[in-house]
Amino acid sequence: MLPMWKEIRTQWKGYVFVLPAVIFMLVLIGYPLIYNIVLSFQNVDLSNLATDDKQFVGFENYRTIMVEGVFGISVVNTLIYTVASVLFQVIIGFLLASFFSMKFKLAGFLRGLMMISWLIPLTVTALLFKFMMGSKEGIFNQMLLNANLISEPIGWLSSPDVALWSVIIANIWVGIPFNMLLLSTGLSSLPKDVYESASLDGANWWQKLIHITLPLLKPVLLVVLMLGFIYTFKVFDVVYVMTGGGPINSTEVLSTLAFRYSFSDFEFSLGAAVANVLFAILFIISLIYLRMIKKDEGV
Amino acid sequence: MSKRKNWILSITGIVIVGLFLFPVYWMIITAFKTQNEVFQTPPTFFPQNFQLDSFLTVISGGVGQYFLNSVIIAGCATIVVLLLSVPSAYGLARFKVRGIGLMMLVFLVTQMLPATVVLTPLFVVFNNTGLLNTYVAPILATATLGVPFSVLLLRTFFMGIPKELEEAASIDGCGRLRAFLQVILPISLPSVLVCGAISFFFAWGDLIFSITFNRDQELWPLTAGIFNAIGRYGIEWNNLMAFATISVLPVIIIFVLLQKHLVEGLVSGSVK
Repeated sequence: MLPMWKEIRTQWKGYVFVLPAVIFMLVLIGYPLIYNIVLSFQNVDLSNLATDDKQFVGFENYRTIMVEGVFGISVVNTLIYTVASVLFQVIIGFLLASFFSMKFKLAGFLRGLMMISWLIPLTVTALLFKFMMGSKEGIFNQMLLNANLISEPIGWLSSPDVALWSVIIANIWVGIPFNMLLLSTGLSSLPKDVYESASLDGANWWQKLIHITLPLLKPVLLVVLMLGFIYTFKVFDVVYVMTGGGPINSTEVLSTLAFRYSFSDFEFSLGAAVANVLFAILFIISLIYLRMIKKDEGV
Repeated sequence: MSKRKNWILSITGIVIVGLFLFPVYWMIITAFKTQNEVFQTPPTFFPQNFQLDSFLTVISGGVGQYFLNSVIIAGCATIVVLLLSVPSAYGLARFKVRGIGLMMLVFLVTQMLPATVVLTPLFVVFNNTGLLNTYVAPILATATLGVPFSVLLLRTFFMGIPKELEEAASIDGCGRLRAFLQVILPISLPSVLVCGAISFFFAWGDLIFSITFNRDQELWPLTAGIFNAIGRYGIEWNNLMAFATISVLPVIIIFVLLQKHLVEGLVSGSVK
């Protein structure tokens, strides 16, 4: 009887510490999440948002977004955007992490300095790249033209064939330092003696990379890839500020489409349906991610 | 490592970082150029007629109010985050609370959630509670970005503190709360600062919550102001870049002050 009483007493104090934050997140994130699922099965627009006159319409909204066509483009764009961004961020981040892992004098300082690109508000980054990618005055075209690499200015943000890649470039720039940082930590935890004996056996840089570094780094790489996917898949600011989804939907992603349905067209239920598809995909990825890190968490 | 190699690597490093951060340099120097010089071919890599007019233009265009709003929103959001997440992380690290796995899951999942999913429901909730077009709406919404991150980071930190410290304190007659306040908090200050800074950055960078919940321009933060200025200033890039430079300034100052702690904290807070 006594130990149980003790347990309840200590637990009670624990809840006082823990619960406020949990309740805060449940009210501001958990409840809206469920609300949004309900919303996606109703017929809510501006006329009945604040009233009780809402009807359940089954999967009607999901059918509508499929039929309207932009949804399909957005899914494909979001996937291209995410995969390309993450791939380049991880590769460049890895190369930079390897470079800075050679402990020269300024390595730590310079590596830290690169974080600036990650800390700048995305709205500012997007505006900055919009400026640099301007077709006439933009520094990108000016330099490429001066170097005779191109003969005509590239319509970075005005050409539907190029625009998606332009927003991807901006996003890669944002994410490189973060990937580099995580991979640096991974690299520094690798055992040194394996490399020493490989060097004694005459292994070159490439062989060490393929046979030692990558296999040992696999758990860290997987975590970085998953995190990158999760954070990139929900992209909003970069696309919204740089192109607003255009030209002709060529950069429309799921977040911007959901936002456009809800807050430009005020078709809240259609927006909710798009957002839920986004959420469902992320949820599955998150579950896989959580399984991967569960061992470390010890919960 | 030989002195020569050290030099070569350092110079290579400076070149790489210089190239990588070129956009930031380009932003700052464009702010000091005249409108004519911005459109000059070939482009100038340092302002020929160094001038402050763009800064004066955006300041008279109301950048001060936006700045103040950003400080209010991000500052309050940071306070909310710390008040909630420090005790919560401590509880999760020290008490054998039932359902701890479930609560950890709440934080892990909410950290990964896209803002668009909660946007409309929050809009309705804030509308019903009369919080639309107030500072409270973006403060609460942006605090949800910092809480999970901070809880997860600080929990890892608290678990690393030896239990003996609090036990010694309780022998001295301290209660649990006092032990937490007087023993644990002081030694956790660097980690708490990191969480505060990151939460501040999250809130400072928010665009979507502010433009959705506040139609009233008087309450807009810098990010919303910039987005709006794109329409107002068009291709007056020197003005826009002055606006951008002002928005980035506080972030860079905080970063420089806390650099070492921030880099370490970011790693442990993001992976867990």
